[in-house]
Amino acid sequence: MRNFFSSPTAIMGTALLSIVLFAAIFGPMIAPYDPQAFDPLNRLQGPSMAHLFGTDQFGRDLLSRVLTGAPSTVAFGVGATLLGVGIGSIIGVVAGVSGGWIDSTIMRVLDGLLAVPDLLFTLLIVTILGGGMEHAMLAVSIAFAPGMARIARSAVLSVRTRDYVRAAVARGESGVYIVTCEVLPNALSPIVVEATIRVSFAIMIGATLGFLGLGAQPPSTEWGLMVAEARQFMFRNPWCVAIPGLSIAIAALGFNLFGDALRDALDPKRSHG
Amino acid sequence: MTLQTMTQDVIAAAEKPALSIINYSLSYKTANGLISALKNIDLTIPKGKTVGLVGESGSGKSSMAWSVMRYLPPNAVETGGAIRLAGEELLDHTPWQMADIRGKRMSMVFQDPSTSLNPTIRLGEQIAEVLMRHRGLTKAQAWAEAEVALARTGITRPKEMLQRFPHEASGGEKQRVVIATAFACEPELIIFDEPTTALDILTARQILDLFNQLRDETNVSALYISHDLGLVSRVVDEVSVLHKGVIVERGLVGEVFAKPSAPYTKQLIGAVPNPDRFIGVDAPAEPKTLIKLDGIGVHYGAPSKIQKMFWPEDAEKVGFWGAKDVNFEVRKGELLGVVGESGSGKSTIAKVLAGLQDFQGNLEIEGKTVTGRKAIDRAYRRRVQIVFQHPDASLNPRQKIGTIIARPLKLYGVVPREKIKARIAELLEMVRLPAEYADRYPHQLSGGEKQRVAIARAFAAEPELVICDEVTAALDVSVQAAVAELLVKLQKDTGAACVFITHDLNLIRQLAHRIAVMHHGKLVDFFDRPDARSEDRDPYTKALLDAVPVHTPVEAFEIA
Repeated sequence: MRNFFSSPTAIMGTALLSIVLFAAIFGPMIAPYDPQAFDPLNRLQGPSMAHLFGTDQFGRDLLSRVLTGAPSTVAFGVGATLLGVGIGSIIGVVAGVSGGWIDSTIMRVLDGLLAVPDLLFTLLIVTILGGGMEHAMLAVSIAFAPGMARIARSAVLSVRTRDYVRAAVARGESGVYIVTCEVLPNALSPIVVEATIRVSFAIMIGATLGFLGLGAQPPSTEWGLMVAEARQFMFRNPWCVAIPGLSIAIAALGFNLFGDALRDALDPKRSHG
Repeated sequence: MTLQTMTQDVIAAAEKPALSIINYSLSYKTANGLISALKNIDLTIPKGKTVGLVGESGSGKSSMAWSVMRYLPPNAVETGGAIRLAGEELLDHTPWQMADIRGKRMSMVFQDPSTSLNPTIRLGEQIAEVLMRHRGLTKAQAWAEAEVALARTGITRPKEMLQRFPHEASGGEKQRVVIATAFACEPELIIFDEPTTALDILTARQILDLFNQLRDETNVSALYISHDLGLVSRVVDEVSVLHKGVIVERGLVGEVFAKPSAPYTKQLIGAVPNPDRFIGVDAPAEPKTLIKLDGIGVHYGAPSKIQKMFWPEDAEKVGFWGAKDVNFEVRKGELLGVVGESGSGKSTIAKVLAGLQDFQGNLEIEGKTVTGRKAIDRAYRRRVQIVFQHPDASLNPRQKIGTIIARPLKLYGVVPREKIKARIAELLEMVRLPAEYADRYPHQLSGGEKQRVAIARAFAAEPELVICDEVTAALDVSVQAAVAELLVKLQKDTGAACVFITHDLNLIRQLAHRIAVMHHGKLVDFFDRPDARSEDRDPYTKALLDAVPVHTPVEAFEIA
């Protein structure tokens, strides 16, 4: 663990991630104002003692809105990733373990899906399913599945030919034991690392969908939606765009740096060397 | 002659030695603080002489090579001393100055020619590049020179070889190219870092002969690094023995072998297998067949059904045969040695016996016939266990030693559940490891200890046959001797038969009752141990036997 914090990336990532997670858990409780309370007299204010981050076009307190928006934004990122990683890993492990024509068929189909960019793919799914948080989340996770499947499969393949797996085969172990006890524990770390990095993508795609009006719907305090709503007033009060935008950036950066550091820490060549 | 007077004599003989290392120390910065790699090294290579540096893995011999080449990793800390090339202090040189010296005045030959050549560049260009860089030749001149250099290394058609890519040449040919490159600029010093370890016995022999020939022709000075004492004795004039970063003994090679003074050297020489000293178990009194291989064949890259349907005449040519028509039997309680070079099919046979490889033909285990991999049942798998070459890879890094050894006990129900713990302790004791190792993870153990765990796991199933696939190849000489001895002891205790696969002829002649020789996937020879030197051996067996280093320092054994 001491090794983990020896790199600046890890310290930075953990610090940013702590801020985001703190906001996600305690945000709604510590928010000073009601995030939906209009205050027509104090519209589009800059930061002041009363409103630390200023107010938006309806005079709503930006700090409170960002804090109450944190849980849904983070939950969206983590949820979509978990779902995507789950689906993708199962497909990848099945492909990697079974090999042969099953593997070929699955992988060719996934290759085709991978050719479509993540965002475009998500938009396509949301258009078919219809907008809303749940649908957006499902769409992001489906878009993530092919990439995750590839990573899971390559992790499984690299472990599958190791001698300890062959030793298990030579012992006459059942397929279930080999996969769950010998292969998966050793193939897990690349999947976990990739998942952490992907949370940041999910948050960004979620925000983009919110911005395009396909994700969260008003008066939700989802960060992407906040940016979209405040866009018209950008020149009168840049704060109402900058604050939710920065929040998205911090959350994405935090997960990304943390994932990078995790990858370095879990790399056996570095931790044992 | 004391050490000092000898060193003085040597210095007097050549005023400026090709390389002198004086009181040199090196450490590495790691997470656990500074770790010392080399301590107060003194080493002198007189002009035109070859000095051997012998040590086991982790002794610091490769660090020494890189220090001389001035190519150390960023976490290396040099704590003092001097390295002088023909009197010139290398430690003061800038990286730019060193770039001019490397390849021109000093060059290096690496262990594995397949990784030391760039796979995307033609061999000719790789030699010519050195000549153009250091001797300022034009491209045409450099290619002509490269051809001459290659011809010197005994390659029959050098012009053709220059046009080839590394993957189009054999291991021996590639190493010749590397050696030609090293000699190309007629350097003052060449460092050989285990140049034959990655090669087959026969090829290694040729490379050694080539080295001796080139050395006589060019009068180059060389530092020859190796873990193999027998091999070093063939090529060097003087030898230094390195142990944990300290030179424990040095002297003329004959004297060191005949009368080693340091305890470590004695141990090292004692551990070298001596083919005439049999240490195996007694041969079974009446030969009873345990397992019979009947026409075993393995076809790698075999044609698919569609290919067979449309191009039936190609079916034989597609892919290659890892093993073809192999017939022999393993007797109860014996140790059968299988020897051969890499790619000879010996590991293929191991995989077939362990049920890891599809095969053609039949396996017969005490009258029961098995016709293919899928027909192998759990009862067979319990009776036949395998131990792999690399102990690092054969133990699951995420399981504790106890869990690893307990697995066959649970799987086959060898002992009742409540007695598993006690049995693990017993098994660990059998392989001479403390019982508390059960709570450790594989990465906390040394290579030799890990291999003992792998052996304990194989014997936990109480098998009738244990296949040992190069189990000692990845280990140091002294550890290797201990593991071999352990195997023999376990065989004695359990009565299990053993198929011992190796490329080390000296070792197998110490252990095996009968020896099978494989070559290009075929069984070429099969004989009882005492008949190894008899006249009717296959020519290939004879060539193999002649190629292994013949050194039997009998006196050393008496001292040790």
